[in-house]
Amino acid sequence: MMWDGLFTDYTARVVIAGSAMIGAVSGALGCFAYLRRQSLIGDVVSHASLLGIVLAFWIGYLVSGEGNKSLWILVPGAIAAGVGSLLLTKLITGRTRIKEDAGLGLMLAVFFGTGMMLLRWLQRSRPPIPGRAGLEDYLFGMAAAITQDDLWMIALLAVVSFAALILCWSRLKILTFDPVYMAGIGLPVRRLEALMLCLLVVGIVIGLQIVGVVLTVALLIAPASAARQWTRHLGPMVTLGAAIGSISAASGALVSATFDHLPTGPCIVVILNAVFVVSLLFAPRRGLLYRRKKRFVN
Amino acid sequence: MVSEGLSHAVLPGLVTAFIILQDYDSPLLLIAAATSGLLMVWFTQLLQRTRMLYNDAILGIVFAGMFSVGILIVSSNLRNTHFHADCIIDGNLALAPLDRLIWHGVDLGPRAWNLMLGMFVVVVGFISICFKELKLMSFDQILARQFKLHPRFLQFMWLAIGSLTTVAAFEVAGSILIVALMIAPPAAAYLLTDNLARLLFIAAAIASVSAVGGFYLSAGLDVSPTGPIASFAGFVFLLVLAFAPKRGLIAVSIRQMRQRVAVSDCLVLDLVERQALSVDGLDDFAVKVCMPVRECQNALRRLQQRSWIEDRDGQYQLTSVGRNHLSDSLRGFGVEWAVAKT
Repeated sequence: MMWDGLFTDYTARVVIAGSAMIGAVSGALGCFAYLRRQSLIGDVVSHASLLGIVLAFWIGYLVSGEGNKSLWILVPGAIAAGVGSLLLTKLITGRTRIKEDAGLGLMLAVFFGTGMMLLRWLQRSRPPIPGRAGLEDYLFGMAAAITQDDLWMIALLAVVSFAALILCWSRLKILTFDPVYMAGIGLPVRRLEALMLCLLVVGIVIGLQIVGVVLTVALLIAPASAARQWTRHLGPMVTLGAAIGSISAASGALVSATFDHLPTGPCIVVILNAVFVVSLLFAPRRGLLYRRKKRFVN
Repeated sequence: MVSEGLSHAVLPGLVTAFIILQDYDSPLLLIAAATSGLLMVWFTQLLQRTRMLYNDAILGIVFAGMFSVGILIVSSNLRNTHFHADCIIDGNLALAPLDRLIWHGVDLGPRAWNLMLGMFVVVVGFISICFKELKLMSFDQILARQFKLHPRFLQFMWLAIGSLTTVAAFEVAGSILIVALMIAPPAAAYLLTDNLARLLFIAAAIASVSAVGGFYLSAGLDVSPTGPIASFAGFVFLLVLAFAPKRGLIAVSIRQMRQRVAVSDCLVLDLVERQALSVDGLDDFAVKVCMPVRECQNALRRLQQRSWIEDRDGQYQLTSVGRNHLSDSLRGFGVEWAVAKT
C-alpha cells in the first residue's frame, strides 16, 4: 500500500477528484464521438497529441530554462497537435485520392513516431533537463502525478465543455443524428462541426494525464458503448456515459495508486471493459441475455 | 487501421508465453503472439455479430482492452526483464544485432535478421505466385468469385500473412513502426503510380529508404530507431505529397489554376461575344459572369494581349482568332458553339 507515508490523504483526494472529473468529461463527449462514428479520429488525435506534449514541454524549457510539466503548458500543445493532425488528414484526403482511414493511420503513425523520437531525445539530452522524468508517463497515464494546479486546469476544461454541451445541446443533437436536415433548415453546420471537433479534442486531451496517449480512445469510446446498451435517448446516454467514465476512472486511479508502479491507463481500461461486457450482456432490451430469453420464450 | 489494432493485440499472447516459458528465444513466442492476434480478430467478429455496436468502436474497445491486459501483465510481473512497458512501443531494434541465431555452432547472423528474411521470402513468394489473383481480388471481388478464385480464402491467406509479418516485426520494431511502415510508403507510392506492380515496388523502395534514413537519424540523435524511422517515413510521404508529378499538391494546384484561367477566359469571351461590353461597364459585366471584378480585369487584359479581343470605339469585340479559340475550347468542354456570327 502506498497510502502510508508517500501519499497523504490530501493527495489521494486530489487524484481521485481529478480522475473522476476527467472520466466524466471524456465519457460525456465520447458519446458524441461514438454516435458520429469518430472513434478512429479519437485514436489519431490522442496519439498525435504526444508530439504536442513533448514539444510544449521542450518549448517551455527553452523559454524558462526549466522543465515544467504543468497541464497549463502541456494541454495547449496537445490540443494544437491534435487539431493539426486532423487538419493534415483533411488536406491529404481532400486533395488527393488517399482514403480516409489510410490518411488517419498515416497521421497517427507519423505524429506518434515523431513524438516518441523527441521524447527519447529529451530523455537523453545533455545537460539533463530538470523535471523531464515523468514525461514518459503520458504514454500509459499516471493519475498520481495530478497536482492541485492541474486540478484547476481540468476543472476549467470540464466547465467549458459541459457549458458548451448544455448551451448547444439541441443543435449538437441534430448535428449528430441528421446533419443534412440541419443544413436544410439553415443552421451553420460547418461551424458546429468545428465546435464538435474541438470538444472531441478537449475530451481526448483531458484524458491523457490518466490514461495516456495509447489508450485514451478507450476512455472515450467504452463508456459510450456501455451506456448505449441501457438507453435509447441521447440525454440519458450522455449522463450515463459520464457516470461510467468517472466511476471507472476514479476506481482505476485508486487501484493503480494502491499497487506499486502500475500505470493508471491499463487499470482504467480493464475496468471500463468489464463494465462494457456487463452492459452488453445484462442490459434490458438490448442485452444479449435478454434477447436470448425473449427468443426462448417466443 | 486494422494493422494498428493487430500490432497492439499481439502483446498479451507474447507476454503470457514469455512468463510461462521464461525463454526469449522460443519460437512458441511467435505462435502465442499470432494466436493473440487471431483472438482479437475473433473477438471483433463476435462483437460485430451482436450488431449492437459500430465497427470502429469495436476495434477501439477490443484492441485497447487487450493491450491494457498485456501492459498490466508486463508491469506487474516483468518489471526487471527484457520486456519493459516502454520497449513495447519502441521495440529493441538497437539490440537486435546482439541476439544471434546459432545453429550447430555456426553463427548465422542476427536472429531477427533471419526471421525477417524468412518473412520476406514468404511475402514475396506469395505475392509473385498469386499476383494476378490478388490483383483481381483487390479490384473486383465479384468477378474474382465468378472465376472461382475463392476470394474469401485468398483474403484469409492475405490477412494471415499480414498478421505474421506484424508479429515477426513486433519484437524488433515495436508497435508504432509497423503501422508507419505499413501505411506511409504505400500511400506515397499510390500518389506516384497507377500500376499495381509498380506500386508494390515503389512502396517497398520507399520503406527501405525510410528505414535506412531513419536509422541514421536515430544514430545522430542517439535514440532508439523506431520513432525516427516512422518520422522519416512520414517525411518522405510529405515530400511526395507536395512534389508528386501528377497528384502532388503543387501539381494539383497548378493544374487547378490553369483550369481556372482557361474557364474564366472562355466565360469572358463568350459573354463579350453575346453581349457587347463597353469599356466602362465592367462592374455590371463582372456580375453577369459571376466573377470578382479583379479577375474579370485580368481576363480582359490577358485576352487583349493575345489579341483575341480588341477595343473598338469603347466596345470590346472578339477578333476572328478569338472566335476560333472560343469555339475550339467550347468544343473541348463538350459544348457545340451554336451562335454562328459572321
